[in-house]
Amino acid sequence: MQKYEKLEKIGEGTYGTVFKAKNKETHEIVALKRVRLDDDDEGVPSSALREICLLKELKHKNIVRLYDVLHSEKKLTLVFEHCDQDLKKYFDSLNGEIDLDVVKSFMYQLLRGLAFCHSHNVLHRDLKPQNLLINKNGELKLADFGLARAFGIPVKCYSAEVVTLWYRPPDVLFGAKLYTTSIDMWSAGCIFAELANSGRPLFPGSDVEDQLKRIFKLLGTPNEGTWPGVTQLPDYKPLPVYQPSLGLAQVVPRLPARGRDLLARLLTCNPALRMPADDAMAHAYFHDLNPSVKNDRC
Amino acid sequence: MAPTRLASKPLGVNENLNGMLGHGITTRSKQLASLKMHKDSLKVPNKRKADSPLKDLTAKRAAFGDITNAFNKSSAPQDKDKIMAVKKVTVESKMLPTVKTIKPQTATLNGKTSKAKQLQRVATSALETVQKHFAKDPPKPVATRAQNGILKNIEKKDKQISKEQNQSQNSVKSSKSDVSGEPSLYMSALENIRSSDTTKEECKVISEKLDKVNLDDTANRSLDEETETPHKPPPGVADFDTENWNDPLQVSHYAMDIFNYLKGRERLFPIDDYLKRMNGITSWMRALLVDWMVEVQESFELNHETLYLAVKLVDLFLTRSTKTLPEKDHISKEELQLLGASALFIASKFDERIPPLVDDFLYICDGAYTLSQLLKMEMKILRVVDYDLGIPLSYRFLRRYARCARVSMPTLTLARFVLEQGLLEYALTPRSDSKLAAAALYLALRMKSLGSWTPTLQYYTGYTLEEILPIALEQNAALHKKPKSAISTVRNKYSHTIFFEVAKIPLVEDSVLTS
Repeated sequence: MQKYEKLEKIGEGTYGTVFKAKNKETHEIVALKRVRLDDDDEGVPSSALREICLLKELKHKNIVRLYDVLHSEKKLTLVFEHCDQDLKKYFDSLNGEIDLDVVKSFMYQLLRGLAFCHSHNVLHRDLKPQNLLINKNGELKLADFGLARAFGIPVKCYSAEVVTLWYRPPDVLFGAKLYTTSIDMWSAGCIFAELANSGRPLFPGSDVEDQLKRIFKLLGTPNEGTWPGVTQLPDYKPLPVYQPSLGLAQVVPRLPARGRDLLARLLTCNPALRMPADDAMAHAYFHDLNPSVKNDRC
Repeated sequence: MAPTRLASKPLGVNENLNGMLGHGITTRSKQLASLKMHKDSLKVPNKRKADSPLKDLTAKRAAFGDITNAFNKSSAPQDKDKIMAVKKVTVESKMLPTVKTIKPQTATLNGKTSKAKQLQRVATSALETVQKHFAKDPPKPVATRAQNGILKNIEKKDKQISKEQNQSQNSVKSSKSDVSGEPSLYMSALENIRSSDTTKEECKVISEKLDKVNLDDTANRSLDEETETPHKPPPGVADFDTENWNDPLQVSHYAMDIFNYLKGRERLFPIDDYLKRMNGITSWMRALLVDWMVEVQESFELNHETLYLAVKLVDLFLTRSTKTLPEKDHISKEELQLLGASALFIASKFDERIPPLVDDFLYICDGAYTLSQLLKMEMKILRVVDYDLGIPLSYRFLRRYARCARVSMPTLTLARFVLEQGLLEYALTPRSDSKLAAAALYLALRMKSLGSWTPTLQYYTGYTLEEILPIALEQNAALHKKPKSAISTVRNKYSHTIFFEVAKIPLVEDSVLTS
């Protein structure tokens, strides 16, 4: 640990504490995530194990880079690239409304990072503003892969206890354990709306039922007609029948029509119909995206 | 499917035999067993296996020189009924292998807690973790290790099974009839090959509705545009991904990309003839180890991916460590089982929804290793493989190929048997996993007289028959080997009805493969 000088605590991840630190030789600023290894514990926590393994594989401009893993007797230290802030803090620091070009740029980068994960058989499963890092150059990076996992094809049952409530799709809220890349696309939709509203969460539910009601009030309560199989989901319960208001214009008033169309395609209750990331990147909403963002491949 | 860890394990264990055979060679298992037998004789005989559900949780045995699994002929009939009632796969008796057994670790033995105590500890620690978990913040959306609690598992089991059966009704529709009467234990192995009947029409209707509602923009892309596959197969090849486009579980959208990616990664994990750099370890010992790992996979009901990944980790670790580490740091015969257990431990944490606890792994090693040894080995493996567990696995490729070729479940299962039997073959370890999968499928098709290599298979595997034939011949040779009782776990497993008894399918001559 001599190589790095700890500067300040940045926060807490899914497991372990995160510090800002400086490489003593190169003076590069990095983020250190410490994982304690207790002797009477289960060895390397599976969340840390997955995060390390998956990030070793996923090298992309829109995914936080894991530089190194340091191991000592009692702890594991993950050395990450450092970003100035996360999207949540960015929202907090906004004075007034967000620039709509920034919304477009961030959303595109989010989708590009996601498309990369999905085509490399990784689900993130915990997308939310706190887990999206922003740096000075306006680059957005997916971070905190503590809940991520590699998926097989066809997918198998995975934990239904994933994704922070506000960003959790209705199928998972109904207890679906069979889910796939669409799980992240719902979160992306929620984040898109939150971006467009300068940081106001779209569905800030208080519990699972409240969360579902908030969603259905906007999109209409699904039934076997609109979503075949919905009533068979493990935790399905009949909820009040709301008609689809689809008043997206009222919900995201600043978003242009094309943006609203993309949003509707992401916020689709039936996971089979939710738009995948690479299709979303090709959506007309991004036709006038600043080319420097679009071409900026890793 | 959730790994429901329940009383599924070889009760065929009868330690009494150890007492009778206890001359000459002393094994750790034997010492332990005779110790136990003495204790048990004070209690009610023959009941010790039944008095706690926890006792049936694990297949504990030493991978080598294990005689605790030896079948006691005299008490066999009685025990056997029990076995058949609970077990899904009959694990045959293990004969004393000709290989020298692991040196008894007397220190461990002396200070050893009894099996029951150990289990109690597992249970308590499970409880504690659960309690700890709920003492903290419950709503965190994390599949925490606290949920591993065995006790919790058991309590939840019934509920879970019914739930899962419910849930899997869609995806496991047709396999359901196959497993009637069987618990849902092997659902994961039996996932159904879905036909493309997935409500494509319904999807379209809904999508159109959605389009109508959202028609506030001229830039709407039509549904057809959206669902266009980026990878088009040549004429005459069934386009599996497009046919399954609206079945999200097939991840059709990314399937081709993902499998191309995985194939590209194979070269990153070369395995070579590492045994020639090692002293005292033979391919036979490796086979014994893998056989034991298969048994652990069964008893913990781990995913097959976990087993394949763990075996891969063993071979990769031995390939790399024997190149980079000085000879004195090479794995010894005594550490081989520790390596296997640690590899399973790592693979479980990577792939399982609810991985077994570290104590479970110590237990199945029959107390041969300490917690600290296992955790040290875990770190050692992770460093040697450089924390990269995204290793392409033949099992995954096979499922993809079989689905694309619309192969029936029994045929896929036969191909899986070929692959799994091949795990025991040291000579097959350097082969590419995608080729192994393709070759196993080819061999299975031939064994069931279902024709030869088709353009569809060639397209989805990317291999011509010429490329995979040599491997298919090697796999066929492995099947033709005289069965050895010490390494019979795979054969026994696939002799079970739940696996369509594919291990009993008559073998074919090489000429059938080359014709």
